[in-house]
Amino acid sequence: MFAFGIAAMAPALVISRMISPRKRSNPVKFLPMECGQVPSGEGRTHFMMQYYPYILMFVVFDVMAIFLYAWGSALLELPKSATLPIMGFLAIMFGAMAFALYQSGRRRIW
Amino acid sequence: MSVIAPNFKLSGFIKSLLDNIFWILLIFVLAGLPAVFMILLLIDLPIIDGELLTPFLALSYLVNPTRLIPVIHAFLTTDIFRVIAFPGFGFAALLAASVIFVERKMMAKLQLRVGPFYCGKVEGILQLMGDGLKLISKEIIIPAKADKPIFWAAPVLFVATAAAFVALIPVAPGWVVADIDLGLLAFFAVIGFFPIITILSAWSANSKYPFIGGIRALFQMVSFEIPLILSLLGVVMLTGTLNLSEITESQSNFPWIVFLPIGAIVFFITMLAELERIPFDLPEAESEIVAGWLTELSGMLYGLVQLGSYLKLYAFAALFVVLFLGGWNGPMIVPAFPEQIITEGIEMGPITLTLDGLESLLSNTITQEMLNGTLWFVLKTAGVIFFIILPRGVFPRVRVDILLDLGWSKLIGLCFINIFIALGLLYSGVLGPGGLQ
Repeated sequence: MFAFGIAAMAPALVISRMISPRKRSNPVKFLPMECGQVPSGEGRTHFMMQYYPYILMFVVFDVMAIFLYAWGSALLELPKSATLPIMGFLAIMFGAMAFALYQSGRRRIW
Repeated sequence: MSVIAPNFKLSGFIKSLLDNIFWILLIFVLAGLPAVFMILLLIDLPIIDGELLTPFLALSYLVNPTRLIPVIHAFLTTDIFRVIAFPGFGFAALLAASVIFVERKMMAKLQLRVGPFYCGKVEGILQLMGDGLKLISKEIIIPAKADKPIFWAAPVLFVATAAAFVALIPVAPGWVVADIDLGLLAFFAVIGFFPIITILSAWSANSKYPFIGGIRALFQMVSFEIPLILSLLGVVMLTGTLNLSEITESQSNFPWIVFLPIGAIVFFITMLAELERIPFDLPEAESEIVAGWLTELSGMLYGLVQLGSYLKLYAFAALFVVLFLGGWNGPMIVPAFPEQIITEGIEMGPITLTLDGLESLLSNTITQEMLNGTLWFVLKTAGVIFFIILPRGVFPRVRVDILLDLGWSKLIGLCFINIFIALGLLYSGVLGPGGLQ
């Protein structure tokens, strides 16, 4: 399906390139869009990522969330006592998340 | 009314058309036909009804509809048909196109406008086709310092990833392109590609607005992925499987939204965020940062991104239906096929056309259950899509910090409540083995 998507969509670009006009080239035409102004500076500048801690949290909690699926999909076959360690895991996850959210709220340390 | 481009010459246009036709014919004769014969020599042709399918036999099928039916039947069961037409790309693209039209008309009605009206006489029904032709005939302008290969590839990859997502959706019993045991994990894997493609496209444009939009898209998609993953855990716990077809079959008596409404609501909200729909359309906020990460895309590149995003919308709505609303399950409302057509044939004027293979076709492939399941699936998906596009006329856009706070604090808390509800239902004996199911 992925391959078919590529195979079906690449011709659209080729056809578009074939039938579209390509005339009157000038340097202004190929400038990056900045609302009619002449662009100042580089396009890829330093950009303040104010919410960087959330990306860090994602790296950890994405993996932890997927771990829960290994437990959830086998839950019907497991004895009830096997849920206790998972409760502990969830408690650690919850505590860690609360701490991370508290730290991410302290904007001045970032 | 605008005039056609002042330098337009009809003779020049016809000349370019003829040029293209000439080159296509020349390339087809010199390279296409030999390639077709080489392929016919190399591949094993299928045996249909005890006969080897040679090209001559295939041509004779064309004039005799009775002999054509086994060929159609054999084609309907191939993977190629599934990928191209029914549960795959064609079906999804058709639904996506109708969603674009319905959305434009509905937004117009909500904002007391008329919307598309002139193209195609009846309520502007051909507007979409006109837009497609406009986009495909526009010049593609790429910024001078852009990273050209990535800039060209990103929209194509976007559509292809959305198509890979569509492949996981079971539409009717047995009608799914990729029926894999870890379907839900495959869905999470596919979802993980969208922020990467977005940030690639934004970075390669070498412009400021796409870059800001790409960063916002990265934040938004990445932080809503955790509530998205956790909100579906309840369904997995109650069904004990990750296969989407089996999850649908488990809802033959009642949909999971009855027992897990919190999970459904959280999944719906994260769905809006992943789709960049309006309360969360920060990555392409057109009143703040021109068009977000779509700013530098022009012509067909923009058209491809639009197609991909609407395919993604269909796939998300379909996934909501499969996980929470019972997928293809529903009362049987499609009438049974008339016995006479199956056994005797179709009467057309003076002759009775007897179609021999029709019985096996109608009882194995296009069954009553399949038509009924598809009908229910499409109805439910249309309902979910309606609720996805409705906020666009109602809500304002939220701020980035409110969005992230919502995703990380509130939705994840609700997800944990949902998990404990599922666990309680399971251990109190309401659901699961010995319970209602």
